[in-house]
Amino acid sequence: MTSVRPKLKPETPKAITGWATATGRSVWLAADGSWTEDARQLAVFIGDEAEARLAASMKQEGVVTDPYFMEVTETGEITGRETLRESMRANPSLAHGGAA
Amino acid sequence: MYRYDQFDAQIVRERVAQFRGQVARRLSGDLLEDEFKPLRLQNGVYLQLHAYMLRIAIPYGQLSPRQLRRLAEIARDYDKGYGHFTTRQNIQFNWVALKDIPDVLEKLAEVEMHAIQTSGNCIRNTTTDHYAGAAQDEVLDPRAWCEIIRQWSTFHPEFAFLPRKFKIAVTAAEHDRAAIRVHDVGLHIRKRGDEVGFEVHVGGGQGRTPHIAALVNPFVPEDRILDYLEAIMRVYNRYGRRDNKYKARIKILVSELGEAEYIRQVEEEFAAQRPDEKIDLPAEEIARIHAYFAPPPLAEKSAGSKLLDAAKVADPAFARWTRTNLHPHKTPGYASVTVSLKPLGVAPGDATDAQMEVVADLAEQYGYGDIRVSHAQNLILPHVALDDLPAVYAALDAAGLGAANESRITDMIVCPGLDFCNLANARSIPVALEVQKIFADPAYEEDIGKLHINVSGCINACGHHHVGHIGILGVDRKGEEFYQILLGGRADEKAALGEIVGPGLRADDVPGAIHRVVEYYRAQRTSPAEKFIDTLERLGHQPFQDALYAAD
Repeated sequence: MTSVRPKLKPETPKAITGWATATGRSVWLAADGSWTEDARQLAVFIGDEAEARLAASMKQEGVVTDPYFMEVTETGEITGRETLRESMRANPSLAHGGAA
Repeated sequence: MYRYDQFDAQIVRERVAQFRGQVARRLSGDLLEDEFKPLRLQNGVYLQLHAYMLRIAIPYGQLSPRQLRRLAEIARDYDKGYGHFTTRQNIQFNWVALKDIPDVLEKLAEVEMHAIQTSGNCIRNTTTDHYAGAAQDEVLDPRAWCEIIRQWSTFHPEFAFLPRKFKIAVTAAEHDRAAIRVHDVGLHIRKRGDEVGFEVHVGGGQGRTPHIAALVNPFVPEDRILDYLEAIMRVYNRYGRRDNKYKARIKILVSELGEAEYIRQVEEEFAAQRPDEKIDLPAEEIARIHAYFAPPPLAEKSAGSKLLDAAKVADPAFARWTRTNLHPHKTPGYASVTVSLKPLGVAPGDATDAQMEVVADLAEQYGYGDIRVSHAQNLILPHVALDDLPAVYAALDAAGLGAANESRITDMIVCPGLDFCNLANARSIPVALEVQKIFADPAYEEDIGKLHINVSGCINACGHHHVGHIGILGVDRKGEEFYQILLGGRADEKAALGEIVGPGLRADDVPGAIHRVVEYYRAQRTSPAEKFIDTLERLGHQPFQDALYAAD
């Protein structure tokens, strides 16, 4: 959905994020394979596992829409070029009126 | 106002049922997002940063109290209790769930509303002067023509898949309040004796490549305007670029062909229309549509109001509001009221469910059931008796809608920015609210006079930053928000594009910089009657630029 998404190297820690198809709320893939609206619960992936998880996510069309890699640190903090945008997504209450 | 006939109602109902099926298939996974996206966009549904966004059409910005109450109900039941009025006289809900949207559309259909053609590469909502039908300076009420254009353009099979979206604005007043010169097509209704016709401007727009529209034809007779629009659309449909979305708007076609060649092609297309393809628009049909927009039965009144005069003496805040938020009405004893959706600390253009209901009630009680949305993201009660203004103001003020700032510096046009929008690079609402704080003193703001600040969170310019007297454009520099300042834009009959005056500023530096520019203006104006834009045009940009970047 974003206009340009950065390409991440295999060794770069990453999370998988998208939008819940039914509600449109931002979601992140958790370690147990579920989708969570709490970005603090996101799982960090690298290498082939990350690719496999993203490929599997893309097959869950009725559940999650447009999943993609989001750059994070090894401990799951949002980082990289899209930090501002992804921080906004992870904290919808920051949006004006988002906490209503 | 226009009322649906049986065909309108049936088409909208069927469309809701169709979309309900499409949503069900999407939720089951039978429809992939790539397949579903064009379907949802045709029904005004975007997927934004935090949620789906539903954009609902408000044709030429006119609402009935019943419709506004229904929007309030939707805000309360399906969103977070508010809606966002847009620069195209529509409303957006930012938090609605896809699974609920068919129900929302059904509720809209019950009050003759829909979200069709609020997205996609089609002809969008035709916009107009928010004082239409009430303004002293209009030659006729433009809403009938907006409705005729709406009927012509809705589901027009030839123009359903244009190279890019297409926006038409119409005015019938000498003072352009509809920003027609920054639309794909801008129509100015004029009279030559008893003959009504259209001055046609084509190729205006903002975005990453802003253009002021070219005057293509000074007078197209009213019974030929749809044929002429078809000629414009056909040339665009044929030659508009489809290989690059950033070069696909009609402004690029006009620019690349050159105005003279573009006009030649349109005129050639217009002249070549066969008799059997001309649109039959008899005078009786034009009159039938005009009848929907007959003036309300305004009682005869004197031009002044003792009640109003006494209330102004008793309440300085009310007196200020009457100086800023009223527009002269063509009928003595009445005024058009701007209900400002720009109180301090609120996202510009937002209204809560309760506020919408207050405005609906006031429209019913005092405003002949007529409500408008302005492209500046405010609501209008176009027909209010002067005697009723104290009561209207009291109710508005109690609901948090009493801001006396129409066309003043805190009455900013602001896009949703990175608070909501997937395309944005920077937040626009917070920076706008910080600027508002500087000018929060109503007396100070009134002294500054008319001054338009427009704020966009990215180059797509949904916040019209190109045509603000002061424009603010948010950009992303390696993850940090910066704001470029533009000076000298205007969207009226003297439309001009603002110029970026220098390097971008950090968010924290923007309010101070704007303040210095305003103070420079106040120091330099020949009198308080000289508006900011006039002082700027008299002195040139350089001294204002110097003030902008001067150290505190």
